[in-house]
Amino acid sequence: MTERTMPQQQRRTTDSRLRARDLTLAYENRTVVEGLDLAVPDGRVTVVVGPNACGKSTLLRALGRLLRPAGGSVVLDGEELSRIPTRQLATRLGLLPQTPVAPEAITVADLVARGRQPHQRWWRQWSEADERAVADAMARTDVTTLADRPVDELSGGQRQRVWIAMALAQDTDLLLLDEPTTYLDIAHQVEVLDLVRLLNAERGRTVVAVLHDLNQAARYAHHLVAMKAGRVVAEGRPEDVVTAELVREVFGLEAVVVPDPVTGGPLVVPGPPA
Amino acid sequence: MSAPTLPTGYALLRAARGSFLVHRRATVTAGCLALALAAACLAYLCVGEEFVGPGEVLDVLLGRPSAQELTVGTFRLPRMAVGVLVGAAFGLAGALIQTVARNPLASPDVIGVSQGAGALTVGAMTLGVTSFTTLPYVSAAGGLLAAALVYLFAWRGGLHAGRFVLIGIGFAVALRAIIQLFLTSGDYLVAQQAKVWLTGSLNDAGWDRAEPVAWALLLLAVPLCWAARAQRTVALDDDTATALGVRLNRVRGGLVLLGVVLASVATGAAGPVDFVALLAPQIARRTARTAQTPLVCSALTGALIVVLADLLARRLFAPTELPVGVLTAAVGAPYLIRLIVKGRGTHVRTGGGTA
Repeated sequence: MTERTMPQQQRRTTDSRLRARDLTLAYENRTVVEGLDLAVPDGRVTVVVGPNACGKSTLLRALGRLLRPAGGSVVLDGEELSRIPTRQLATRLGLLPQTPVAPEAITVADLVARGRQPHQRWWRQWSEADERAVADAMARTDVTTLADRPVDELSGGQRQRVWIAMALAQDTDLLLLDEPTTYLDIAHQVEVLDLVRLLNAERGRTVVAVLHDLNQAARYAHHLVAMKAGRVVAEGRPEDVVTAELVREVFGLEAVVVPDPVTGGPLVVPGPPA
Repeated sequence: MSAPTLPTGYALLRAARGSFLVHRRATVTAGCLALALAAACLAYLCVGEEFVGPGEVLDVLLGRPSAQELTVGTFRLPRMAVGVLVGAAFGLAGALIQTVARNPLASPDVIGVSQGAGALTVGAMTLGVTSFTTLPYVSAAGGLLAAALVYLFAWRGGLHAGRFVLIGIGFAVALRAIIQLFLTSGDYLVAQQAKVWLTGSLNDAGWDRAEPVAWALLLLAVPLCWAARAQRTVALDDDTATALGVRLNRVRGGLVLLGVVLASVATGAAGPVDFVALLAPQIARRTARTAQTPLVCSALTGALIVVLADLLARRLFAPTELPVGVLTAAVGAPYLIRLIVKGRGTHVRTGGGTA
């Protein structure tokens, strides 16, 4: 198990502003994650994969202070997350939940503008910076032309782009995305993931995303984290991590790993149909 | 000033060093509602057992000597003032509670506030407290107490919107049973009087009843300005709002507290005037087409509903005066139904999840 984890020196000297230390997460009395250590590499796209109920979304929620750790801690810039005032934290760390709910009848521009919340005050509800961030976020996600449309009327793909735009308008260096491709068809999935990579490439934003699809994870991640039953089984560059043994161990699936004909990265092909 | 690309439908208001986002349609709606309310108030003062011309009404209002001083100034005006204030307070209370509950069907008369006020008031009446200087405070206390209990039981490391509404409904049912118990076991005359109060009535309302509501609205004006802004983020789901740096439990607690205080004080002044708190915010929101309930519009709508309903209550079966609560539903409900039927995408959304 450990030999698959990337050797320390190969990780280069990437720093990690966001870390989990000996993290234990639980709902009521059910422990979901136990004794987990994770260092999110700065300026990279980290993707967390694993079977259903392995605790990947739970981990993301804890990294975004939506869930208070039952043990251990999440640390941002050397400071424990629970000690950072939530508004201040929101200027550094953004999170888009899996199924965000928009207020009824809200327009696209209005929703995206709400991403500016942590930067605004009661007496300063709109500034030049707000305007720039919102316009920029909408342009990047290609929703500018939808600005006046009610969010309820959009297609799934458009809506997801609008939510990402809102998270972008928040203008944080770190962005956590919980299954941003759920409910999207394959074209929209690719579109959203391309956008994630682009945001990372252009601004050097650190992104942590939870994904369902191992192949997509392998394609888009710089750093892949494979989880099973609340533990990190392997982490590192996808080409180092994704192997037939890993797929068997983590997902319990017999599969062949071949080079992706397009990217050359690992591509998981499940065994023949029954 | 450069015209910044603002979110659709908003205008930017700069004052001193502040900048405020103002929803255009909501502002226009508020203006129209204010005019409609002024007209309704004028009609309210003119119409009665004896018709008083608008000119004479204005004379009275401006303090000029008039033969109608007694009819307009002493009888109709304070009653109208109570109606306006109570309506505004209920409208605000409904807006705030619906926002926190994320449910358009939640309002103080659904989640137990009105029933708490009612139970304590009727209980006090049965025990011989009949003074109208004490009863409003008793009922306000009852409303607050009921809300505190609901909040306490709904709290589980945080406030879950759905649980809040359901526990509120449970309390409302239990408290209604207590009211019935008092009504059936107590003195017949007291029960009669209590029943009128329980329907919500402005009959014989004087300045003394307007006073506590006016104070409440005045003192809460600043917190209400905060609430108008805070509502924006509470309208999102829990996780998204928290990720945006909103201290959700505090904000919700603040909004509920404001709503409950207003509803309790208003109930103390006029009894639980049914449906106003439920209807006013919905009508206001659908008319203003805002993403969150517009507070000023809700207050004005509430006031308008109560004034119009009481005008009808006074005149419909004159000389018999009906309690205003009988008519608030009759005035507001058809309009709400029209809006829902006409409007698109009006989902009844139940509480937000906390995974």
